[in-house]
Amino acid sequence: MSHEEKPMEADPNQSVKAHNESGADSLNMQRVVSRRWMLFKAAAAFNGLVGLALAIPIVRYLLAPWRKDASYKSWVSLGPAESFPTGETRLAVFKNPSKRSWDGATDNVACYVRRTGTDQFSVFAINCAHLGCPVRWFPQSQLFMCPCHGGVYYADGSRASGPPERGLFTYDWQVVSGELHIDAGQMPTLSNTAKLVKISHGEGETSCG
Amino acid sequence: MRFIALALAVFSVPLVAGCGLRPGYPPNPMLRPTAVTDFATLYNQNCAACHGQNGQNGPSIDLANPEYQALVDDATLRKWISGGMPGTEMPAFAQSAGGMLTSAQVDALIAGMRRNWQRPNAFDGVSPPPYAQAAVGDPVRGQSTYQARCAQCHEPTRDSANQQITSPRYLALVGDQALRTIIIAGRPDIGQPDWRHDSPGGQAAAPLSVVDVDNIVAYLASLRNLGQPAPASTASSHTTPAGR
Amino acid sequence: MRVNGTMSRVYKWFESRLQLEAPVKEAALHPVPRNTASWWYVFGSAAFTLLFLQIVTGILLALVYVPSAGEAWSSLNVLNHQIPLGWFLRGLHGWGSNFMVAIVLIHMAQVFLFGAYKFPRELTWTLGVFLLLMTLGMAFTGQVLRFDQDAYWGLGIGASIMSRVPFVGGGLVHLLLGGPVIAGATLSRFFALHVFIIPGALLLFALLHVWMVLKLGINEWPMPGRLVRRATYIDEYNKLAHEDGIPFVPGAFWKDLAFSGAVVAAVGVCTFVFGPFGPGGQPDPSIIQTVPKPDFFFLWIYTVLSYLPPQMETPFLLIAPLVAIATLLAVPFWAGEGEKSWHRRPVAVLAVSTIAICWGVLTHLGATTPWSPHMNAWSSDPIPVHYLQHATPLVRQGAVVFQVKQCRNCHSIGGNGGERGPALDDVATRMTIDQLRYKVVTGGGNMPAYGKNLSPAEIEALVSFLETLHPANEPPAYDASRRAVDESQSQPRPQSARPPAPPVARQTANRSANR
Repeated sequence: MSHEEKPMEADPNQSVKAHNESGADSLNMQRVVSRRWMLFKAAAAFNGLVGLALAIPIVRYLLAPWRKDASYKSWVSLGPAESFPTGETRLAVFKNPSKRSWDGATDNVACYVRRTGTDQFSVFAINCAHLGCPVRWFPQSQLFMCPCHGGVYYADGSRASGPPERGLFTYDWQVVSGELHIDAGQMPTLSNTAKLVKISHGEGETSCG
Repeated sequence: MRFIALALAVFSVPLVAGCGLRPGYPPNPMLRPTAVTDFATLYNQNCAACHGQNGQNGPSIDLANPEYQALVDDATLRKWISGGMPGTEMPAFAQSAGGMLTSAQVDALIAGMRRNWQRPNAFDGVSPPPYAQAAVGDPVRGQSTYQARCAQCHEPTRDSANQQITSPRYLALVGDQALRTIIIAGRPDIGQPDWRHDSPGGQAAAPLSVVDVDNIVAYLASLRNLGQPAPASTASSHTTPAGR
Repeated sequence: MRVNGTMSRVYKWFESRLQLEAPVKEAALHPVPRNTASWWYVFGSAAFTLLFLQIVTGILLALVYVPSAGEAWSSLNVLNHQIPLGWFLRGLHGWGSNFMVAIVLIHMAQVFLFGAYKFPRELTWTLGVFLLLMTLGMAFTGQVLRFDQDAYWGLGIGASIMSRVPFVGGGLVHLLLGGPVIAGATLSRFFALHVFIIPGALLLFALLHVWMVLKLGINEWPMPGRLVRRATYIDEYNKLAHEDGIPFVPGAFWKDLAFSGAVVAAVGVCTFVFGPFGPGGQPDPSIIQTVPKPDFFFLWIYTVLSYLPPQMETPFLLIAPLVAIATLLAVPFWAGEGEKSWHRRPVAVLAVSTIAICWGVLTHLGATTPWSPHMNAWSSDPIPVHYLQHATPLVRQGAVVFQVKQCRNCHSIGGNGGERGPALDDVATRMTIDQLRYKVVTGGGNMPAYGKNLSPAEIEALVSFLETLHPANEPPAYDASRRAVDESQSQPRPQSARPPAPPVARQTANRSANR
């Protein structure tokens, strides 16, 4: 084995010898002064204990963002319901409820509000159900198109073509004293809604975070 | 060693030349899409597809026609760009109507069109029929005026009957105002004469009168309503949402 | 003489304390087989050089860059435009990154083809695999630090991929983003990854990697028939290095040095000519007029994601990377002995060339993204003038419908427009008017159904426009039975028949002249 470890020595035999000697020495040392070794082991174990004690808070700190979806969500106003004309789909922008002062413009979140009746809304996430790219609404052809991989959705959010497995993500909504509120705060992805997804031609009716 | 020297030489070229010439110097920071007010950019992104490059030879009306620019005032242009033109395929571009353009951008488009395509005295001193229709036209009189002044060019042949301007299919997609605009201002890019030359051969006969224009539009409008997809002209503006 | 004497005294003063001379001499002068002094053996050292270029330029950029979601984008623009030559530094770092990924990949392919991963260099290869992964990790996190729209939506793609992990996907998304959405916390943790965590590990691994190269010797030039055996290899190698060897410095090292210099020079020239990468538009998610795209080395993944069938996607995304990494790690343990020469390893050559070709094709596709609708085509791409020169009024309106209903976003005409669907320049030769109408209304084959979004008049106008799209020498497709009926009734033919001949002929003659 020492050949492997030190193949470049000019004289391999010599190195083998040296290696063996030093190994023997350390063995002798261990036998002779076993008290030192015991103290060493105790100190190492102590360090291990301290490390473990510190590891728990560190891991807890690292996992801090890992929370239940619901804890990130809250009801956000999109403004007066009257600002969304009936029969049309409009882009709406709201502030992420868990925003921080250094978020800059990234605290904006966009969504599409489709008003189908006096008190009938659908609120779609901007994120394509495929890989989260921002879909764009085309009122002329009544389609949502995704610029990344060509996912296309009909006006009701259901999948029209392309790689997405399902329709657009939707937000739960309610009208409170004339204002449209949605339950939002989390980037919608497949995992938030996985249990509700219908793989074949999703209808885009599941809620998301 | 020669290689190193060569490499050093290659590397030092940009350092020496870099004082004046900087091909890699980055472009200015990207503007927000709503902050773009350059006319050429806005026109090419939003209008060129239908109204043609440089405002002509597109399938829709040629905005570069000086007579058109003289005929239509700013408020009207703003109305059509912002909210779309009813009865036609012209969509709404203003954010307030679900489009992507701010009102400043719409204004920039109008100002740019005026700057590029407006000519002084576009009508040679003749005053054209007004852009907006004032009186109700008479379709019957309109038909006879049409036969006299338009039909020679716009005569449906056996093959193209369905594709001519008298076909309800065509008229369903072109509103009265759009018809009126073309009759008055013409489309020089495709050889459609203006109201002064609306006569067989495009010769300068007597210009169409205001009443003539009203009547021809009324006649064409009556043909539109004869067609089977009668209310279809407005179907596109409030389409029922597509379901599966 | 006097100066020399002083110099040597100073040198000795330091050397007696540092005691670096012996190990450095040993490393520099150790014998290597003569034929390893080859231009094929320069990629590793070039990658190492680039690593240091990246560290230096990265530290210099960190003097100005602000790792805050609110300020990062503006600080990049300050670097580009207000700090003298800040743009050059950004360019060096960006191009250095691209070169580093490329050189690391080339190095890996060369090592693989030369059998250098075999006994006793298995661990060197293993470390190399991790070095590759970390280099790619640096490239991705670096793209995030260039905090623009591509970075923002690239993170969205990353999160969407992460969310597909069963059971813990949602939690992993939170961990990746540092919260529920892409925001300040996300940039902070990617900054830590890009500046502390990955570079620290990368540097450590790279030093170990080089250490092992020095200790185990540079792989000898593979000869067909000279097999690697565990029992005898080390003796054989030592014999080769000593009997037909030269000292590493300068015999082999000058080529490393020259190539490293050339690569760094190339980074400089690319920066000077092409400039830095981005930043693109500002990372405001309310700006939806954006077409996110990953950096060059991730384009192939972007392509794969668009071509995989939906049901294959999640398994592929989650399993394929693991399989690939496991395969790479297993290579030296599975084939640790035997033939080194590529002349006798056809499978290895085939594997490398297949991967290279696939990578090239996928990257090319990723650069052109034929699957993506062109979001602005409907309002920005004019219809070629000669297509409409002699068009009837209805055909003209059909062209308007074609544009306004965003058909152009997926179908090109005259070379402009989306490539998601087929180009329609000669669609009339492929489909009869009835087929066109049916296709428009019902969609299918990855095309949305437009039946509810178009009025009957719009459909008629649209198909009459499509019907004119055919070359001069090729008449449009027609329905034979329908034509027979029409002709027997000798009535005016419906629009399925040919449009008037002369205009079409002229129109298409122009078109072919333009082609």
